[in-house]
Amino acid sequence: MSYFSIFFQYAGQYLKTRLTYRADMAVEIFSDLLFQAVNLIFILVVFGHTSLLKGWSKDEMVFIYGFFLVPFAIFGAFFNIWDFTDRYIVKGEMDRILTRPIHSLFQIILERMELESLFGVVTGLAIMFYAGNNLGLSLHWYDPFIFLILVAGGALVYAGIFVTLASIGFWSDSRTDIMPMMYNIGNYGRYPVDIYNRIIRYVLTWILPFAFVGVYPAAYFLGREEWYIYAFITPLIGVIFFAISVFLWNIGVTKYRGAGN
Amino acid sequence: MDYIIDVKDLRKEFTSHSSRSGLKGAFRDLFTRNYTIKTAVDDISLQIRKGEMVGYIGENGAGKSTTIKMLTGILTPTSGEVRVNGMNPHKDREKFVRSIGVVFGQRSQLWWDIAVQESFRLLKKVYNVPDEFYNTHMADVIKTLAIEPLLDKPVRKLSLGQRMRCELAAALIHNPPLLFLDEPTIGLDVLVKLKIREFLKEINAKYGTTILLTTHDLSDIEALCERVIMLDEGKIIYDGALQQLRENWGEGKQIQFLFTEDVFMNELQELTKEHLVVWEQGTNASTWTASVENDEEIISAVIGKVVAAKRIADLKIVEITTEEIIRNIYEEGAVRNG
Ligand SMILES: Nc1ncnc2c1ncn2[C@@H]1O[C@H](COP(=O)(O)OP(=O)(O)OP(=O)(O)O)[C@@H](O)[C@H]1O
Ligand SMILES: [Mg+2]
Repeated sequence: MSYFSIFFQYAGQYLKTRLTYRADMAVEIFSDLLFQAVNLIFILVVFGHTSLLKGWSKDEMVFIYGFFLVPFAIFGAFFNIWDFTDRYIVKGEMDRILTRPIHSLFQIILERMELESLFGVVTGLAIMFYAGNNLGLSLHWYDPFIFLILVAGGALVYAGIFVTLASIGFWSDSRTDIMPMMYNIGNYGRYPVDIYNRIIRYVLTWILPFAFVGVYPAAYFLGREEWYIYAFITPLIGVIFFAISVFLWNIGVTKYRGAGN
Repeated sequence: MDYIIDVKDLRKEFTSHSSRSGLKGAFRDLFTRNYTIKTAVDDISLQIRKGEMVGYIGENGAGKSTTIKMLTGILTPTSGEVRVNGMNPHKDREKFVRSIGVVFGQRSQLWWDIAVQESFRLLKKVYNVPDEFYNTHMADVIKTLAIEPLLDKPVRKLSLGQRMRCELAAALIHNPPLLFLDEPTIGLDVLVKLKIREFLKEINAKYGTTILLTTHDLSDIEALCERVIMLDEGKIIYDGALQQLRENWGEGKQIQFLFTEDVFMNELQELTKEHLVVWEQGTNASTWTASVENDEEIISAVIGKVVAAKRIADLKIVEITTEEIIRNIYEEGAVRNG
């Protein structure tokens, strides 16, 4: 597969560039970690007093948060497209992308990757092991594989939503605050959805399915059988949303106008 | 179908929305939007054969870049047919762009932060160029463009001329049979321009590379292109040999006189009334220019008459430059057929 070897070439180049600016990289990893620590403290404080919230224990909530960090880190490493409209449409950088023989979205993933974000995977795993240990969870031999599949599904859900949003830029390059707003909505996925009212729950499941990034797949490992059906359709939802987003992207590319003068 | 570029009735319209002012305006915009349609490229047809070097010229905003973007698959045409290298640039874009090279003088194609040779290496991978070919071909390109000392510098540290030479090299990594250059010499000094022209001639001769270039510098066209296509407000107003253009438009000559004393228009007209001469005063009353037909007899007769009657300090016969011819055409907006 040439896309794989192209990917490794880019990743190699990326690391090379990054290592020449080691200080920057350290700062970035440190601020990432700090950000995650603040979030974790928030959860511990808010849920510290109530040991049970709608039937979820504190450790379960922490576990869900830990799980969420993993697909989110992968999304963050490869889908830095929150400034797509500004960077590629308004400035006309898309011209360059479109004269190269690789799928345009893949090129943008390659150009914009931020591999430091992958540290979130480590944090997430650590949190899950800590909470899982408290909960006395045990692992089957096949659980790591299921984990990989569910994480991939969650990352695809995130990617699908954000690629869809970025595609809007092909039709209208006016400034909107949709991107930051969506980052906020995404955060709802890391709490159990049944603490929200029915409408929000519906939205987080079928419209902006961020629940498939955190609570649903995590429910599988927590042994919450009432949510298993949702846990198991995670990869399906991920593939569907991502496929739709790529479809929209491809239509968007034909609407690209270039930078006007 | 031996045309490498074959375009029929190609058209591109840009719609731009204008928003009304005020809250009420914004509300009305929700339902009906005011918009204007700008036709950037207006039903043009053209054909280019393999190995041709064609100059694509026109004033600012004539639609040159828009045409190139449609031919390279960046923009989707509003209507019309395009076949480039036997393919439709908008279908199969990824396969198509392997067969072309593109340089936009106004915009870098290289990665800003990484060294030039790293950029080349990534592109080599992207275009899947075999090692042996890359090594021999690029060594040649690098040598001809004299960019060897620049290879380990990041693009953002290069001067414009240095960068442009690297851009050209990057566009040729996969040795495409067709090269699009949009203002490749913009802002460059004479030496770099000459080097780039030499290089383009060389690859055209060596590989038969077809080149379509836009420029505002007509000396580029004179040095490289036998054929020019002239665009005005999205329409092709001339497509043919540069030589032909000069013959149709540049048939006249100008004779510049510097007299030792002030001379009046009616005196000069009286002297040359047997011939068709247009007299124009220069910077002062002792310098005059006579525009005449390009005919040796007339030129000699006019000079003879004037010199016999008036003392002159200097005399020069000049041909109308291509620059002036083109400017005249732009001003009239159309080309005389003849
Ligand atoms: N993305 C766009 N949106 C709206 N209008 C555009 C866009 N791109 C170009 N135009 C308009 O189309 C016309 C043609 O532009 P184009 O860039 O093709 O001109 P050009 O011949 O390349 O000019 P120049 O010599 O200045 O580069 C111009 O009137 C321009 O304003
Ligand atoms: Mg232009």
